[in-house]
Amino acid sequence: MLTTLRNSTIIATLALGTAALAQDGPYAPYAGTTLVVNFPSHPHYNAVMEVLPEFTAQTGINVEVDMLPYLDMRERQTLELTLNEGAYDLIAYVVFSKADYVYADQLENLAKYFMNPRLADPNFDAKDIIDGYLQNIGVAGGEKGYLPGPTGSLFGLPFGSETSVLFYRSDIFEKHGLSVPDTYDELLELACSIPELEPGMGGVASRAASGHQAAHAFLLHLAPLGGRVFDDAWQPRINDAQGVAAAEALKRIVDCGPEGSSAFGPAEAANAFSQGQAAMFLDTIAYAPNLEDSSRSAVAGNVGYAMHPMGVTRASQTGGFGLGIPANAENKEAAFLLMQWLTSKEGDLAVAMAGGNPSRFSTYANEELNAQYPWSATFGAALEYADPDWRPIIPAWGRINADIGTTLSQVLTQGVDIQEALDGIAARTQTLMEEQGYYIWD
Amino acid sequence: MNRFSANRLTPYLFMAPAALVMLLALFYPIAYMIWGSFRSWDPSQSITETDFVGLANYMKLLADPAFHESFWVTLVFAFSVVSVEMVLGVGLALLLDRKIRGMSLLRTLFILPMMIAPVVVGLVWRYMFHQTYGTFNRMLDAVGLPRVDWLGQNPLLSVIIADIWQWTPFIFILSLAALQSLPRSALEAARIDGATPLQQIWHVKLPLMAPVLIVTLLLRLIDAFKVLEVILVLTGGGPGLQTEILALRIARTAREFRELGEAAAMSNMLLMLLMVLTLGMFAFTRWQEARARRLRFTNQEES
Repeated sequence: MLTTLRNSTIIATLALGTAALAQDGPYAPYAGTTLVVNFPSHPHYNAVMEVLPEFTAQTGINVEVDMLPYLDMRERQTLELTLNEGAYDLIAYVVFSKADYVYADQLENLAKYFMNPRLADPNFDAKDIIDGYLQNIGVAGGEKGYLPGPTGSLFGLPFGSETSVLFYRSDIFEKHGLSVPDTYDELLELACSIPELEPGMGGVASRAASGHQAAHAFLLHLAPLGGRVFDDAWQPRINDAQGVAAAEALKRIVDCGPEGSSAFGPAEAANAFSQGQAAMFLDTIAYAPNLEDSSRSAVAGNVGYAMHPMGVTRASQTGGFGLGIPANAENKEAAFLLMQWLTSKEGDLAVAMAGGNPSRFSTYANEELNAQYPWSATFGAALEYADPDWRPIIPAWGRINADIGTTLSQVLTQGVDIQEALDGIAARTQTLMEEQGYYIWD
Repeated sequence: MNRFSANRLTPYLFMAPAALVMLLALFYPIAYMIWGSFRSWDPSQSITETDFVGLANYMKLLADPAFHESFWVTLVFAFSVVSVEMVLGVGLALLLDRKIRGMSLLRTLFILPMMIAPVVVGLVWRYMFHQTYGTFNRMLDAVGLPRVDWLGQNPLLSVIIADIWQWTPFIFILSLAALQSLPRSALEAARIDGATPLQQIWHVKLPLMAPVLIVTLLLRLIDAFKVLEVILVLTGGGPGLQTEILALRIARTAREFRELGEAAAMSNMLLMLLMVLTLGMFAFTRWQEARARRLRFTNQEES
């Protein structure tokens, strides 16, 4: 009798314990774990820092953040990801690192985490995540190797991603009765008429400095004007009519832009716009908070927001950061829980309210967010047209990007002929692609 | 015999550990870089996992027009800045080598630029060259001259000006030290013989300073071939490739293109160039010293 009672007590205790464990939820097994994460020094991740204490309070999982300037971050990650045991449980990676990390088998495929009922949140609602971001930042192995497709897999989730919009001076447009440009023809016409209407003011502030900046600015125009760097057979088509049109657009924008445009990086271009030297600024949404900050911007309160103008199609850029779990991480499951929590509807909204960039359509549709940040609705609309393929994300991209950037800089500053410049890029790109083994199946 | 051998070996045995550490610390990284230059080496791989490609990285560089342009820009930059800095630095030292009230303060002020971090120098000059707000264009505005697009149209000249500003004090301080350690008797003798100040400089001071000036020139030349931060901040190597010196191309090849083997090959080529320059400079110094000895000997024989 006593034995039976004792056994019953043990069974009951075990059952209660199991029930208690079940009630503790998915985070209980990981309470007390300390995750080491690597984030960039960036407005979005500054907002994340404000939200992280809430994650620890809810889950009992501690988070230690190694925050680095984003250009140094990639170098540090390259070193850490090659070790047998890395220092990081979760990393934020720049979009063009996706190719290198996935190719070197350094990021976890997220399928097994989303398949695990103990880890996957049934309310996560992946369909709500901005599709262009998800494809650009997270998916690899599908079409062309870097886009979705039947063979594609998910290696990361967009977080701190960006797209392009047109910022314009509402007061200047009102003063001269100008319409906000919706097409490239209108944009380019206005770009050069602004300096005539407002002497001393440039049309559009744009990146143009040699290297990555000029390449970025060129690609910003290439996709809406119907161009691509490669065709479907990896043959460079950057030198076709659409490529020439994009380079001409960039040249016109720089020629009619604020003084010194040809040496502008993104900060200089944003600064030129915020100090009243340009009537328009075509770049990433990440600059909006600074442009509306009257302590930094002379044009705060006079900034209008519009969709990236349309060429033959409407296509805004996709870029920024994503979250991934290193293959050599120590606490992969807890890292997944943090990644999922941050990118959930609630997490995304909390970070956006603190000044971050939303990754979900529902966040952009949130009334509270739109009341706090009036530009949000336009950004959400622009993201319907976010183009995940505006820039190829392949391991050889670093070299091609640099070549495009330096050659276009020669077009902008040294008067090199556009067709000749693009033909040169196409020829060098083809040689490089051949070296990389792209044509051996032809 | 044994004792004799042991005595001879003892100092070497005592020196061996330190020498070994020195050798490893000095030559292991260089050997690593040389070995890496013969491999197809991606930063996501350990060097032991990489493929041996022989001279492919070197051949690729020799056929690469962008590398040729970087090489040419480096030569133009290095020889321009060093020649101007030598003339200015030595000239300033000759001017300020005198006992005037407040001279020590003036000398201290002169060497301030070389104490500033190169990144800060790059940032300061970037704003000074700014098309709208820059000091230079405001000065041009003030005298009614047209503005200059310093970083867009005259990028190499702009980085040369910034480098000259920062590193002329280096030549100045070493030249001044050399001047002040010259034997006073030789200068006195020249003065008594009626040499004009210009003749004293040309025939006495400069020849006596020559060994220090050659070493100074060499140090500055090596440094000018490796300059990176100022140009990176000021122009980022552009526009086009107009200011992409070799050090910047090496950094870009390793970091942006992720081609460590090619970057190592480029570094080795720069290393070889600097070694040839250094050896040439030392050979020239030795030849000069030998010539001076021969002249002295001939003069003694004649007298």
